[in-house]
Amino acid sequence: MGGERLKIILSLTPPLLIIFTLFFGGIFYGFLQSLGYQPAIGKYEINFSAYYNVMFSERYAKLFWTGLGLNLWVSFASTFLAAVFALFGALAIRKTFFAKTICNFIYSLNLPMPHLVVAVGIIFVFSQSGLLARLASQIGLIGSPGDFPVLVKDKYGLGIILAYIWKEAAFFFIILMSVLQSLGENFEELAQSLGANRWQRFRYVILPLVMPNLFSASIIVFAFSFGAYEVPALLGVIYPQMLPVMAFEFFLNPDLNARSEGMALSIIIAIIVMILVVFYFWLTQAKIRKD
Amino acid sequence: MSKLNIKNLIKSFPSMDRPAVNNVNLDIESGELVAFLGPSGCGKTTILKMITGLFQPDSGDIILDEQSLLNIPTEKRGVVMVFQNYLLFPYMNVNENVGFALKMKGVDKNIIDQKVKEMLELVKLPDIGLRKPKQLSGGQQQRVALARALISNPRILLLDEPLSNLDAHLRDEMRDLIVTIQQKLKVTTIFVTHDQEEAVLLADKIALIFDGELQNFTSPKKYYEKPKNIKAAKFFGGVNFINAKKYNDNLSTNIGTVHYKGENYTDLNEDNIITIRPENIKLSKNNDFNDNSFKGLIKSVIFSGTHTRYKIIVNDLELECSLQSVGLQDIKKDDTIYVHLPSDKIWAMNE
Repeated sequence: MGGERLKIILSLTPPLLIIFTLFFGGIFYGFLQSLGYQPAIGKYEINFSAYYNVMFSERYAKLFWTGLGLNLWVSFASTFLAAVFALFGALAIRKTFFAKTICNFIYSLNLPMPHLVVAVGIIFVFSQSGLLARLASQIGLIGSPGDFPVLVKDKYGLGIILAYIWKEAAFFFIILMSVLQSLGENFEELAQSLGANRWQRFRYVILPLVMPNLFSASIIVFAFSFGAYEVPALLGVIYPQMLPVMAFEFFLNPDLNARSEGMALSIIIAIIVMILVVFYFWLTQAKIRKD
Repeated sequence: MSKLNIKNLIKSFPSMDRPAVNNVNLDIESGELVAFLGPSGCGKTTILKMITGLFQPDSGDIILDEQSLLNIPTEKRGVVMVFQNYLLFPYMNVNENVGFALKMKGVDKNIIDQKVKEMLELVKLPDIGLRKPKQLSGGQQQRVALARALISNPRILLLDEPLSNLDAHLRDEMRDLIVTIQQKLKVTTIFVTHDQEEAVLLADKIALIFDGELQNFTSPKKYYEKPKNIKAAKFFGGVNFINAKKYNDNLSTNIGTVHYKGENYTDLNEDNIITIRPENIKLSKNNDFNDNSFKGLIKSVIFSGTHTRYKIIVNDLELECSLQSVGLQDIKKDDTIYVHLPSDKIWAMNE
């Protein structure tokens, strides 16, 4: 018995060491830096001034709060719209073998594509010098490509939202297709025979059945888009700036003192995402208890 | 109370080399309890789904109370189906499940609550309204599904294999409940089953379906006593079949001339087939019978509790006989025996 337990502990030790060293070690060291502890530049004092600076100082407060607002808007909007597009797409094509196969293939191709490549794709297609602007100008819808609405590098983060929808809709779609296929059509047929029309079947049958999976996927997508750097860096503007880009710029600052602010910002992003995840688990646990 | 007529119904699927439903005609009277009986894949559920409107027939018509259903969408037909695996909505409690159809119709909540209560009392589950489906047993789920189907007063109630997921004890209980409720509400009901015993115990009439074709539509008793063909006879446990020819108002077979009293003699082809149920054959060591008595040899004796089954060879023909074990004569393997085929229990068929 004891030998068996030792064997399990020894087997688990290498991966656990890696996880603890890289993950928790990194977080702990980052947290220390956010508290001002930077031995490399002779700072040993522990305080919350970096957090205060980022959130309330005259220099950064406006940047931080507008950035946080933009972050929340972009993450909520892109997650919600990607889920909606994927849901309606999946519902529209789930019964047609050909369209289902084609869409599955396209979305499977989209999944491994890096976000950076998608961001570049968004610039090629949706910017004022992009494909759509030139096409609209060619067919006379607009006078010149410059008249095309600003969808990329705009202050509302539309280009960033488009990139996330493009990328994350595929993730939602694949999850939804597998859920819908496992559910089959019996629930809908039953509801139909009980008198439910098309809208009622969607509202009272399909939506509640797919919602748990849709909600889980939304949390993952939201958490990712809230903390990701590369897409907002490429498609965002200087002001307002999303928090991960702002954090990275603190790191790039030649003044090493600014690292504490960068780390504080990163920790704030992580805490917001963690609060959301905890809230999600609380909701699901509450539902399990209720059931 | 609704009368249902099915006319020349045909339905094919691309993946099948024969029609799933082939020219089916049925007239179901108001308030009848009808079983669609047949092996898996014979087309019975397909017919059910065409009645609900979930499948459209290739041709033919489905008429409910003199009105064709074909152009009426499923949700407006008033035909409610209870699926084999109950399909209670897992995110709703029992009250919400049962009240679903009325909610879809926009009925006032107080009326829904009242009707839900009545329905749960009808299925004898008055105290489980706040439970979720996964907190219910299989039998309870089946009852809730039945209550949910009945709450909107359907014109036709369709039950897809209603007892197949239940264990033997619950099956008996549920069978009684279905019959009681059906007789109380007088709702025209069709249920699908592959279990011949279930069909016989529940149904007023049985539609026997093989390979998409209706073989016969009659009362359970007639399937036992006067089957239409060999397939029907075999499905209801028939094992004795004797090739026969018409001969002087009787039937000639290779075991001898069989005296026949069946009312269908004039409808019989020249070549036909005689059947008799194992329990209707009589055995005697002495030749105690006046007619239809043939000498044979006992090939095997199988005791199965209340009954004992005998296989008898009569002039190269094997017949099977089942007698009550109580008070049985001492008949053993290899005994010579007289086999009596009572003329009022014999039935002849064309195919």
